[in-house]
Amino acid sequence: MTDAANPYLPLAATVVDVVDETPAIKTLRMTLDDPQARAAFTYRPGQVVQLSVYGVGEATFVLNSTPTRPEFLQCSVMRAGEVTEALHGLRAGDQVGLRGPLGNAFPLDALRGRDVLLVAGGIGMAPLRTLLLYMLDTRADFGAIRLIYGARGPRDMAYAAELDQWADAPGVELTLTVDAPDPGWTHRTGLIPDVLRELSPPARGAVAVTCGPPIMIRFTVQALRELGFADTDIVTTLERRMKCGIGLCGRCNIGPRYVCVDGPVFTLAELGELPPEL
Amino acid sequence: MSAYTVHQGQLPGLFRLWAKLYKVHVPVQTAPGFYDFAPWEPDTEIAWDYDLTVNPLKRHLLPPREDLVVFDTRTYEARGVFQAPQQLLFGVHPYDLRAIAQLDQLMELGSPDRNYRRRRENTVIFALDPLRVAPDAFWSTLGAGRADIGFDLYWTKIGPAMFFVEVGTARGEELLLAAGEVERAGAAQHEAARRTREDTRRRADGHGLKFPWQELPRVMAKAWDAGIWREKSSMCLACGSCNLVCPTCYCFDMREELDESLGKGRRWRQWDACMLPAFAQVAGGHNFRGKHLDRYRHRYFRKGKYIFDLIGEPGCVGCGRCIKACTARIANPLAVFNRLWEEYA
Repeated sequence: MTDAANPYLPLAATVVDVVDETPAIKTLRMTLDDPQARAAFTYRPGQVVQLSVYGVGEATFVLNSTPTRPEFLQCSVMRAGEVTEALHGLRAGDQVGLRGPLGNAFPLDALRGRDVLLVAGGIGMAPLRTLLLYMLDTRADFGAIRLIYGARGPRDMAYAAELDQWADAPGVELTLTVDAPDPGWTHRTGLIPDVLRELSPPARGAVAVTCGPPIMIRFTVQALRELGFADTDIVTTLERRMKCGIGLCGRCNIGPRYVCVDGPVFTLAELGELPPEL
Repeated sequence: MSAYTVHQGQLPGLFRLWAKLYKVHVPVQTAPGFYDFAPWEPDTEIAWDYDLTVNPLKRHLLPPREDLVVFDTRTYEARGVFQAPQQLLFGVHPYDLRAIAQLDQLMELGSPDRNYRRRRENTVIFALDPLRVAPDAFWSTLGAGRADIGFDLYWTKIGPAMFFVEVGTARGEELLLAAGEVERAGAAQHEAARRTREDTRRRADGHGLKFPWQELPRVMAKAWDAGIWREKSSMCLACGSCNLVCPTCYCFDMREELDESLGKGRRWRQWDACMLPAFAQVAGGHNFRGKHLDRYRHRYFRKGKYIFDLIGEPGCVGCGRCIKACTARIANPLAVFNRLWEEYA
């Protein structure tokens, strides 16, 4: 049996760069050590990987780089437990274990040719970043892109260095909002669902993709429905504790679905068929 | 399918031979009224008429703890670990065969689990028809009283010192004939085996589901808000015993540790239990099934619906082990399913 066929075996990767995004979030840029594995590694926007710090453990992160820019793989890590703490301790040159890609991806076919509304809260910007960059790199395939990105305060906003670039990209409307502004803040202040209602982007011909803390998702979905988005046109990603990553161990099981295989991306219509354990 | 007649006197020779090739596990009595599988020794007394073993056989296919990967923290080299002893499970009742057949299917969904598959390939299974039915058992009404596949040999005790042995695989037949000549079963032995099975089945049928098991997912689909979840789970100790003794529960956790040099370590999987409070807890503390009720209901939905939706049969074989193991007397798929049938059919 070749080790390559063993779904439990991580590949070695090296951290090439670490970005301090916010006090709680760091972004790791990585490349696989084995040149063959690096050449063979492909993924779709929205898929996740399991990152290992050997001796500490493994945790799941969305790849927030885009396959259209294959120079490195990127994950943003919010400090939340032992593994994320260990990942925060890594510097350029350190190694990690990487398993994946796992799970499904954003429904690009359903998004192509339509306007796309992205609504991100906090670390929820990570999965939407991969989608945003992918769309920017294949710009002609998509209609207008509207991104509403909110965080607690200006210092909690990840990807700060990229925001100007996103705002200037063709056909992109970027709206930033925080709950608690500081004196230098020139963007909006207020909760994401309220900002969403104020902007009231057209639902016609559009798909909404939202990601963030459960409470934000709940009220954002409410606002999206008010704006006329159908549940089949609201896409979100589920947070779930994953262990095996191959649909066996039962950790991320919800109804007949395993988030690690059938998700993490679901439409609201799909979630409506699952037990209310969200 | 070919069948043979084996006499008690031929057994010691056969077992001695098998034990040279395999680690052989057989049912034994561990205390009055209690049975379990134990490694065979020349002086082992096989409990031919056991009704139910405390533990299911999953421990031989999906061990309580199993190494998956060894790694080096300095070089970040990692290697898969496979342990798959040659083993022979003797005396497996049909409901446990059904449970193993389910594991076979489930472990192949998605990316096949090669650790499981290797163990399975190295495992010989000799089934045995039950002569007694455990008081809590309801396998007969779940269609798990008889298995047509999943065994190398199928044994039926047809007399005080005589067995009818049906061949399931060439490997099984080879092992049966390895110690010398064995006579072919005649019509009388076929008939004796049929009568023995019929007799067990009649007794087993008297206790069980009040409805066809095929109806289970349809009933469960309406039962999310059933009162029984609160009623039963209010007494749940969240101990996970029902999960541990269940032949079809296979959820696992993954853990790792470093050796004393801190340079090398291993990652393993170990049985987990969806009834334990932290099973669905994520980083940051949110718990998707934080209440006893959520977890109790989840287990029965897994058994009655989710697994059914995946493989077309319930994730419960009716062995009754969880009923016997539950200290709080609340684990009882039979009582739960029958009650849901009455309320939601």
